[in-house]
Amino acid sequence: MESKRKRKTKASALLLVSALFVGLLAGCGGSGGNGAASKENGSGKEAAAGNDNSPITFSLFSADPSPNWTGMKDEIGKAITEKTGVTLDAEFAVGDPQQKVALIASSGEYPDLISAKNDISKLVDAGAMLDLTDLIDKYAPNIKKVLGDSIKRARYSDEDHAIYAIPTYAGVGQEYFQAGGGFELQHRAVAEAGYPEIRTVKDYENVIKNYIEKHPTDENGNKNIGLTLNADDWYMYITVTNPAFYTTGSPDDGEYAIDVDTQKVTYHFRRPAEKEYFRWLNHMNDIGLLDPESFVQKYDQYKAKIATGRVIGLIDQDWAYGDAEKALKAAGKFDQGYGHYPVTLTEEYKETSFWPTGFMAGYGIGISKDCKDPVRAIKFLDYLASDEGQVLLNWGIEGKHYKVENGKRVIPKEISDRKVNDATNFTKETGIGLYNTLGVHYGDGVKDPSGNYYTTNFPEQIQNSYNEVEKKTLAAYNVKSWRELFPKEEEFKVRPWGAAWNIAIPGDSEIVVLDNKLKDITWKRIPEAILAKPADFDKVWDAYMKDLEKAGVEKAETLREELVKQRVKLWNE
Amino acid sequence: MRAAANIPDGTPNRGKRTESKAASRKRFWKTFRNQKYLYLMSIPFVIWVFVFSYLPLWGWTMAFQKYKPARSFFEQEWVGFEHFKALFHDEQFLLSLRNTLAMSTMGLIAGFVFPILFAILLNEVRLSFFKRFAQTISYLPHFVSWVVAAGIVTKMLSTDNGLVNDVLLGLGLIHEPIQFMAKGHLFWGIVTLSDVWKETGWNAIIYLAAIAGIGPELYEAARVDGASRFRQIWHITLPGIRPTIIVLLIMSVGNLLNIGFEKQFLLGNNLVTDYSQVLDLYSLKYGLGMGRYSFGTAINIFNSVISVALLFTINGIFKRTTKESLL
Repeated sequence: MESKRKRKTKASALLLVSALFVGLLAGCGGSGGNGAASKENGSGKEAAAGNDNSPITFSLFSADPSPNWTGMKDEIGKAITEKTGVTLDAEFAVGDPQQKVALIASSGEYPDLISAKNDISKLVDAGAMLDLTDLIDKYAPNIKKVLGDSIKRARYSDEDHAIYAIPTYAGVGQEYFQAGGGFELQHRAVAEAGYPEIRTVKDYENVIKNYIEKHPTDENGNKNIGLTLNADDWYMYITVTNPAFYTTGSPDDGEYAIDVDTQKVTYHFRRPAEKEYFRWLNHMNDIGLLDPESFVQKYDQYKAKIATGRVIGLIDQDWAYGDAEKALKAAGKFDQGYGHYPVTLTEEYKETSFWPTGFMAGYGIGISKDCKDPVRAIKFLDYLASDEGQVLLNWGIEGKHYKVENGKRVIPKEISDRKVNDATNFTKETGIGLYNTLGVHYGDGVKDPSGNYYTTNFPEQIQNSYNEVEKKTLAAYNVKSWRELFPKEEEFKVRPWGAAWNIAIPGDSEIVVLDNKLKDITWKRIPEAILAKPADFDKVWDAYMKDLEKAGVEKAETLREELVKQRVKLWNE
Repeated sequence: MRAAANIPDGTPNRGKRTESKAASRKRFWKTFRNQKYLYLMSIPFVIWVFVFSYLPLWGWTMAFQKYKPARSFFEQEWVGFEHFKALFHDEQFLLSLRNTLAMSTMGLIAGFVFPILFAILLNEVRLSFFKRFAQTISYLPHFVSWVVAAGIVTKMLSTDNGLVNDVLLGLGLIHEPIQFMAKGHLFWGIVTLSDVWKETGWNAIIYLAAIAGIGPELYEAARVDGASRFRQIWHITLPGIRPTIIVLLIMSVGNLLNIGFEKQFLLGNNLVTDYSQVLDLYSLKYGLGMGRYSFGTAINIFNSVISVALLFTINGIFKRTTKESLL
């Protein structure tokens, strides 16, 4: 009896151990498989001969996530492969791309095509990127045509005039017809307030306050929420810290405010006006209009909350809360959708969302030195930049995703409905929107030789996409789109450096560490200041300013100023 | 353990120090021949350990360089202990070290007390169906990923219809919902408790196995002598699983600094960073994340040195006091 029991224990222990090992081996087997697969791709080398469209696979790394990517199995992907012979074996960063790029840089094994945004500097430092200047000159007439004079903005730096990345993020000649930012209010709240002018944070606050006073709870007895923020990781920038400069007359230059004439750089939180903005948020918290969970909730909780329709006001960008609003629209609660208002701290400021930058080179796609056939690669990118390629990426396939009526490209009703209501599946099937940041392209508002817009974002199209409630609200404010509420681009002086967040920082610069330290301090102190008792606000703020000085904010400003001045010289000489 | 028992000539010779070297070598070869299959079978794992644990040690040289990728070893610039100096002067690092040690110590204590208690209680349950049922239920959370678990915890502690606040309000213990996740001094406790919820059942398995290995004749003898259930636990069960406890304890002390960062990363937010930042997260953010390979390596060397020191200390203490040890 006793020995039997022991044996049983032993057997189960053995089982456990072997299960562990099997798991281990399976893990190893998995990675081994990947290695084999990438090798197979490598053997495509022989297939690449000269000018043909024979099948070739390029590996690609992109620093932006692309959850709907199907490995070019979508309709546009197939069309591209047919035209160029190229299939992309793509990897998209999930989460913070910085670490992934750092790993790629140190591994010494580079994908053929790399789109690394600002982190490109790590790869350039490692000598991973090819200088594309000659390749573009010889093999890429379309890229040259689209970029025109702006191509000098693609040069890497003042010391190194090589082109390591072709600017594929910004559209050439881009006009903005859509406003997705500013401050958001539910249509029902502005309707109830009788569509008052919403210009300052006080106006905004009053609309929310009145609505909450009249309707403290929703129909199920759950509390309505005045304003909620999303402070989960980098969304902190979007809903908490960036609005501080948008509302106080300074444009988005990352974490810095730069004087447009003297290029004097200030860490933007050190501007006195911004202190007042955060004092207002503090006040909102004090009077109970700010959701107490603002700094605790995660992104999915934030979206879930908005999707209940209980949140009256947001300070966010539509691409960040869009999923939640889609859920509201799907449920037919159109009056709980949001409009965008150009709110500023006081009347003396202009909302700066649309402060022009000129053509924003910087982010883009490059070819690595490991690329098996750079000529084929640049030709592939050139195809994407051709008129044919651009129309394909934006509009899709003629007869399938759009029709040409009297020489005008038109999207049939059922297609545009699917685009809005079944967006994920539609993207996966057609590939529309998946390839836009891979190729050099014209921006919204530019017309091709046939007189049609290159992109599907143009005024009529946008106005058609609004729902009835939205149209009603817009009509009440006498405009046709949210964009018209915001100041025009012509009201501002073009920033000669583009935008500071888009300046790549040399890999060994001290700025990287300084910036991160400042960010850590800011992300800790700002919530603290907002949630403090109003009487303590100044005290917390002073401590915050002291922390910044101790962490070397002045040095960071000086170093940043050098970079900005170099950029101004590089782009405008 | 079986292998050790197969060496009959190991123990009796202990006293004879005068024995010649040649003889001992001969005996080694004899044992080796006897157990050649065992040795053969261990070779893959020795190679595995060598490749994954020893080869990477070469990378430690990075910590003393200003490492830049894509340069050969000889082109790197040597900077000595500069990265270590920078590390020890960084407040963030010291804060992370404090948080790591605090949370791992709390986790260590909770991670021993609860599973052992649970295993003993479960072992005393006579109804075998209920026993199995309870065990299965208790280790299920182990298979839930931290991402999901963190979501559950935050939702439960939420002020907006969170279960914990609702219960406390309902009982009249508090009048205002408490923002649990926004209070830094509660963070360590929340992490420890969620860990207890998630891992107690799973960690109890190994103790249950150890308890199952205790001969039933001991309990029978104790019962004959009139020992109560509690006495049986105290004098038979606990001493019976002591070796298991000590081995596990020594191993986890060695891992005190390597607690990972999932929990802290997922449960933390900007309001509690002073309490939630841990070493692994620090090295990821300030090391690799910024392309500071050398700095990241320096942090990990520091980690390893402390871990090894802790391991030997605790092992030595147990060797002295209980004559039981790992090494």
